[in-house]
This record gives sequence, structure tokens and C-alpha cells, in this order.
Amino acid sequence: MRAREPDQCGYAVRRGVRIYYEVFGAGPTTVLLLPPWAILHSRMWKLQVPYLARHFRVVTFDPRGNGNSDRPIDPFDYADAETVADALAVLDDTGTASAVGVGLSMGARVLLQLAAAHPERVAGAVFVAPTIRLGDVLPQCWVQPFDVELAEGTGWATYNANYWRHDLAGFAQWFFGEIFCEPHSSKQIEDAVGWALDTDAETLVATERAPHLGDRPTVGLPVAAQLAAKVRCPSLVVHGDDDRIVGSDTGVALAEALGCRVEIFQGGGHCVHARHPVRFNLVVRQFVEACVGRHDACN
Amino acid sequence: MRATEPNETGYAVNDGVRCYYEVFGSGPVTILLMGTFPVVDGRQWKAQVPYLARHFRVITVDARGNGRSDRPVGEAAYGDEDCAADAAAVMDATRTESAVLVALCSGIKWSLLLATAQPERVRALVAIAPGVHPLAPPGYPLQAVDHERWRGEYREWVDYHTELLLPEPHSSKVFDDLVGWSLQTDAETLTCRVHAPLRPHDEDEAVALSRALSCPVLVLHGTEDRCQPLARGRRFAELTGGRLVVLEGAGHLPHARHPVLVNTLIKEFVDMHTAPSKRESAWLFARERKRKALWVCSPIGLGHILRDLAIARALRETVPDLEIHWLAQPPITAVLQAEGEIVHPASAELASESAHWESESTHHDLHAFYAMRRMDEIFCANYMLFDDVVRETPYDLWVGDESWEVDHFLHENPERKIAPYAFLTDVIGFLPVDADGDPREAELCADYNAEMIEHLARYPYVRDRSVFIGGFGELPDASFGPGLPGIREWSAKWFTAVPYVLPFDPAAYRRPAALRTKLGYGNGFPLYVAAVGGTAVGRDLLELTAEAFALVRKDQPDARMVMVTGPRLHPDSLPDVEGMDKYGYVPALFEHLACADVAVVQGGLSTTMELVGARRPFVYFPLAHHWEQQHFVTHRLEHYRAGIRMDYSATKPADLAAAMLLAHGQRPAYRPMRRGGSAKAAAQLATLIHR
Repeated sequence: MRAREPDQCGYAVRRGVRIYYEVFGAGPTTVLLLPPWAILHSRMWKLQVPYLARHFRVVTFDPRGNGNSDRPIDPFDYADAETVADALAVLDDTGTASAVGVGLSMGARVLLQLAAAHPERVAGAVFVAPTIRLGDVLPQCWVQPFDVELAEGTGWATYNANYWRHDLAGFAQWFFGEIFCEPHSSKQIEDAVGWALDTDAETLVATERAPHLGDRPTVGLPVAAQLAAKVRCPSLVVHGDDDRIVGSDTGVALAEALGCRVEIFQGGGHCVHARHPVRFNLVVRQFVEACVGRHDACN
Repeated sequence: MRATEPNETGYAVNDGVRCYYEVFGSGPVTILLMGTFPVVDGRQWKAQVPYLARHFRVITVDARGNGRSDRPVGEAAYGDEDCAADAAAVMDATRTESAVLVALCSGIKWSLLLATAQPERVRALVAIAPGVHPLAPPGYPLQAVDHERWRGEYREWVDYHTELLLPEPHSSKVFDDLVGWSLQTDAETLTCRVHAPLRPHDEDEAVALSRALSCPVLVLHGTEDRCQPLARGRRFAELTGGRLVVLEGAGHLPHARHPVLVNTLIKEFVDMHTAPSKRESAWLFARERKRKALWVCSPIGLGHILRDLAIARALRETVPDLEIHWLAQPPITAVLQAEGEIVHPASAELASESAHWESESTHHDLHAFYAMRRMDEIFCANYMLFDDVVRETPYDLWVGDESWEVDHFLHENPERKIAPYAFLTDVIGFLPVDADGDPREAELCADYNAEMIEHLARYPYVRDRSVFIGGFGELPDASFGPGLPGIREWSAKWFTAVPYVLPFDPAAYRRPAALRTKLGYGNGFPLYVAAVGGTAVGRDLLELTAEAFALVRKDQPDARMVMVTGPRLHPDSLPDVEGMDKYGYVPALFEHLACADVAVVQGGLSTTMELVGARRPFVYFPLAHHWEQQHFVTHRLEHYRAGIRMDYSATKPADLAAAMLLAHGQRPAYRPMRRGGSAKAAAQLATLIHR
């Protein structure tokens, strides 16, 4: 049983690729929960949707490559630019003029590009554990030899195309153990591994080979900073200081570049929204209300 | 005493009329607390200024016609446009490019006009009971002052008007404040304002101006407002696209009567619409948090901190991993630092209670109830600081030793309670000190007691523990007031009693000769010790004692006196007498008192009870008009059959010298004290942490 069923669902179709979306609740303010890397899909927001939908209209969509969205095989279909365009298509199809975006990890990177290029569509932006290259330190996932032959391995070495083909579940189990580094996270890990297995190794390999923004040492460092400088909407960065995927110094640097506040979840890992949902939900609600102003009586 | 002093004051001049302003705090965001209908001046915001100035730069204005601003003659001088221009002039004079405006009643019209003329200067507007008059018909006919008709009856109008604005029970202090501000002006001035040229001219203009307001708006409006109808606030919020917060049961002055709510709403709203001053905030995963307690210790006297330390030590024996942060102010912070305790850094921002008490006392006379009542501003400021502190750090336990501000405002705002809370006290309720001569005092004491009784009855969950230090039989056998319960009976129902907490084991102090040797005083001569606690209130008593001691020396030429002036009086500021040594702050003062053949002290509970515990003879002088010393301490000492009580105003040096000589050589036969108070109090607290 889901805690909250969507009021509307459908597909936005772009160049033959179907992107599945869901709409919950109603009201003048829409919150767009962006998908992260396609190892997860929109159900990852399951602890946010029921609460946020009480206060706002909420739109989620599955990333190309997982959930109910299509799984193209060309790596170029997984470029950030495609996901940005998917988000716009979902906004169009759901009749959403503008929304407050919430993006986690790679979803935060997509949100940054969306907000910079389409300011009229983004009323506010929450960047959670942004996988964005802003400093000298690269996230671990970008420094692994991705294509070496590897049938066995441990730790970050399993961030590897051949390993995934061989044992995606094993990789996911380890990877989400890193993401949910907080004790007592068994349900979160189990959920995430399940969502990872909703897709397949070849799709994830394709996503990994896609050209992303500033995610290779060859791409100029200032790109993310230049984008941040173009963001006009109110912003908030949320980051766990025990994030083992992207260190919280990245979140702090992004907040600095955006001139916005950063909320640090002390002791939090990469997916604070799932492990610390109450605090996260309250922070998001307060931020959304601040972005759009309120027209309701509080009592 | 004000809770916080301005860091800049001055006059802005608008078309020859001088407008007084004050500036507090600093920071990139300025809040301009606007003037309003001139029955008040900028001090109407006294419950907001200390808190907001902690976070923002804050400016208050005296509206023309009141306070230190000019009172120009003629109706033409009080138009809405003039008043709006005053606000702009104050912004110019204070080099304020833009500000968040917070306004009450008429102040909203001036804000609207200012925002229309100079939209770039108004970042946001908090509109309390907006008085944009054409927006809705008044719900209640408020009689405006009219000089012609009201000649000579201004004071009656002030009472009528003030009562109308404050329908909430227990508003006596706000009432007195408002009457005082209203009497700073006169019927003639107010009549001018009532007949002045008003803007907006009509409903169409009011609608147009409100709709055109482009900044974020927050409207606060009480349902019991007799000055501005709620419908007006609702319409203003609709037209401006603002958020309306309806304050159930509130009158026209929620900022004064419900300051915690209004302050937090303003802060939240301003934060929402401005770049935050604090760029980084943190939330710590619950299981990672260390056990922490926040201990709020009243600085009135040094006695509380010694007993608190004794209880804290006992508590740590049960809960060794507990980290205690003390929210406290001088002089007790010195005691805490000497003990190696953690003083919360926000302590430095507390408004000084000691300075207030000193400012309220003269010649060993301190009307403690009135002084406490006049501490409303300091209490509110210090509660708000507490409120900030407990939201910055998640505590597992709050302890308040006579933390009156915390206790009062938590009961007024029970939703602010977010941790277990234990309240400790040795005094319960106010008793009038001059019931015959001052009926108002008796009435007010009963009103304050009634409010406390209602608070606990309605919100019993606010306090998880109420601990009374001492036995209920040590409380006065009196009632809280007409129609109210007896103090002992009610207290026994609402409090858990623990034996009196001494900072030492009295058994160890029963042999003064050994103690005198240990402390280097020596033996074989009469030793007198005088001490007056931690404030400067006791200066007059020390001067009297010095004179009396000089007379004692005539009978006992080898007598010596140790005079302890306390941390806030310099020993050099007191006279020199042969045979008398003077000291400022002395740690473990009770050891010195326990050496005394006779002690001369104030009527403070801690010091006198330490003397009871050490079984030393003493003479004590309750402060005149000090309800606690006059009633509670005196009663308790009578219960223990201890001490010679004297009245400062009726005592000549020779009388005191005679009493000192009489007490010398007496063998006290005090009623024995029950022991184990600190362990029992600690056990009460520990149950809130350990199950």
C-alpha cells in the first residue's frame, strides 16, 4: 500500500522516449521532486510525497532508465540536457507554469541547469547532496576505472561496468550501504536495492557513459559556478556531513556560489531525505513557503 | 531598567518637525518599528526590540505627538502623509536604504504610503491590526478623544481607551505602560490627529494602494480587537496577497500582550524574505546527540547557584554522561567559572537582572514585587534568548531555578516547550507587603497569583517537575488572595517538596574554633561577620554595620569583624573601622559565616539558612517592602526559631551594636534541618532523563 496515491499520472513523450510522471494534491504552488541517477526512481520520495502534498501540489517523475519511464540504450539519451528537457516536458504536460524544484545528488545537478537556463519555470530550488564538481576533490564515483575487467571486488572498485553486469545486486547492496551510512538503515537500504533492480546493468552503464556537466576532469571547473551565478530563484542546500558519496564541502561550496543557506544534517549520509524524513520534510516545507509567500491563515 | 539600550539615538527633521528615533543592533537587514496613533511612543515595542536586535538592526520611532518627538500645533500637522514622511526621514537620518516595516494600526497606513512613494525602500511589511480605515466598517464604536467635548477628562478617556485595547485578563502591566505613554501627550494633540487629513481618502484608493503593494506582507489580527475590526485585517491581507494570522482571543496590542508569539512570527517572516544572516544551520541526527541539560539560574542573590551546583553534582552521580550548560549572568557566572562549569556563551547577552534590582533599591528598601513587575521587559528579552538557545541546541532537560521568565512565558506559549522541564523554587506566590496602605499592591499580587494558578491548572504538562526547596510548613500560612487557595495547600498539590539544600554538610561546620584556625582567623576573640549577598543592594546595611561595629569595639576591644561586600560592591567604597577587614567576593562564603560568633546579614534566604544549618547566631535585616524577605524568609526562620530580625529604617548603630552583643555568646537552639535535599532534588531531575 502506498500512503498516498497520485491524483493524476501519465507520460511525457520526448523523441519517442516516454517519461512517467505522477501528480499529487492541488494548490497554487507546485513542488517538483526531480529524480536522481537512474539507479533510483521516483518512489525514493515516498516519505516526502504524502506530507508535501497536504500543503502543495507535488509532481514526481521517473528518470529515463528506471521506474515506469523508458530505458533507451544510447548513452547520449542520458545526458543531463535530456533530463532537463524531460523536466520541462513534465512541467508542460502537467500544466505547471513554474515549480519549486527539489533535486538530490545528480538530480541537484539537473536542477541547477534547469534553474539557470529556465528561470521562469523554477520558483525555488533545494539542492540536496549535490553531485556537482565545484572543488578540486572529485566524487569517488568519477575516479574509478569504469571499464576494467572486474568480476570480483570490494568497495568503490565495484563502481564498474563489468562488475554491474556480473552482480548488480551486490554493487547496489554495497553502494546503498555507503549512502545510508547511518546505523539502523536496513529498510532504506532494502528499498533502494529493490529500486536499483527495477533497472538493469546495461541501462546503468549507458547512464554512466553519458556526457554530464562538469563530471570529468577534462571539463572546466568553473562550469558549475557559472551556472550557479545565473540562478535567480531562492535556493537552499541540504547536505549530510557524513555523506560518503559527495562530501558536504561540495554543498557548502554550492551554497557559497548561490549565496544561499546550507542546512547541514550532522551525522547524515547521502540520502538524508529518506533517513531523516521528518526534519527534511519540515525544512522543505518551510523553504517552499518562503519562496512563494503564503496566503493562508495559520489557524 | 530597559532590557537593551540603543546604540544610536537622534532626531530626524521633517518639514521642521523633529522625530525621535533609536537604533539597536546591527546587520544587513533593518527592521523599522513604525510609530502609530500617538498614545504611545517607540517604547511600545519594548518586548520586541531586545529579541529582534539580536538578529537584525532595529529602529524605533516616536510618532509626532508623543515621546520625544515634537507636538506640532494644528490638525494639518498630523496627516497620514506627514507621518509617512516622518518614517522616510528617519530612514534617511539613519542611513537606511531599505527596511522591513513592522507597524501597528495607523502605522500600516503610513507604511502603505511610504511603500507607494518609495517602493524600493520597503522590503516587507508586518501589519499588526491594520488600521487602513476605509477597508471595512468598524465593528465597535471607539470614542475618539475630542478636545472640545473631552476637556478636562483626558485621564478618564485614557482609562477607557486602554481598557478597550486590552480585553485579555492579566494585562495589568501592559495597561499601566499604555496609560503612562498616553499621559505623555494630551487631548489637544490627539484631537489634532483625529481631525487630521487622512489617507487613503476612500475605499477605492485604499484598495488600489493595497493591491499595488508589491512586497511580502504578514498580517496579525486579534479576534477581540476593539479598535480595528478583524474584517479589516482580513481584507488587507487579501488585497496585498499577504498571509493572515488570526490571533484567537487577542486584543489590539498582541505585540505587547503576546510578545513571544509576535516576536517569533516576525522573525520567521523576516528570515523568509531576506537573505539569512546565518548561512549555515545544522541539525544533528538524534542518536548522535550527547545528553545535555540547560540550567537556567536566577541571578537574584548568590544562593541559588550554590544550591544548583549541589543538585547538579548529585545529578551527575546518577547521570554521569550529562553535560550541563548554564544560562546565567553575573555575578553567578564567576562562581560557575571557578567551578569549571560550562557557561553557555549566550549568557553574555542576557539583560542584567542584578543591575535592575540595584536600580530599584534605595536605603535597604526594595519593593521586590513592583521591581519584579517592572522587570517585564527584561524577562521577555531573557525568555526570548532562552527560546533561541533551546532551538539552537537540542537539550534533553531544562532546569530552571526560579527561572520566572521561562516559567511564565512557557505557560503563555505552551507550544514552545520542546524538552522536559523542571522548575525549582523556594518561594511560591506574591504576598503584599503593605496590604493596608497600598490596596493596588494587594490586588496586583492576587492577580499575579491567580495567573500562576491558572497557568498550572490549564497546562500541567509544561512543568514535568515542580520542586519546592523546603517543607510546605515553612511556607506562610496565608492565602494567595481573595477567593484563591491557601499557599500551603495549593503548593502541596502542585509541588514535590525536598529538604532545604545547603551547599555544605552542616555537620562539618559545627566546630567554629577549628574552622577559624583553618581559615586563618585564629581564636580567642569575638569574631563578627557581615555579608549582604551578591548585589549592591546591601550597601546601606554594610555602612550601618560598620558604625555599629565601631560601638561594639568599645565593649569588646579585641572584637574583629570580617565584612564581605560581595562581587558588585568595591570594599574600598565602604568606611574603614579599626578591627574590621573588608573583602569583595569570597568563595565559599558560608565557611566564613560558619566561623562567626555573630553574623549580620540581609534577609536573603540562602545566607540565613546557611547560618541555621551551621547553627550560628545572627542578626538579619529583611529588605523593606521585599515580599519574599518580609514574608517567606521571615516565616521560615521563625519556623526554625532562628535569628534576630531587625528593621533597617528603625535601627540606629547603637541598636545594632546592642543586638550584636546580645547575640554574642548565645547558644542557638534551632529546630534541626532535614538533610539530603540535593540528592532528593537530583533524583527528581534524573527521572526525566533515565527511566
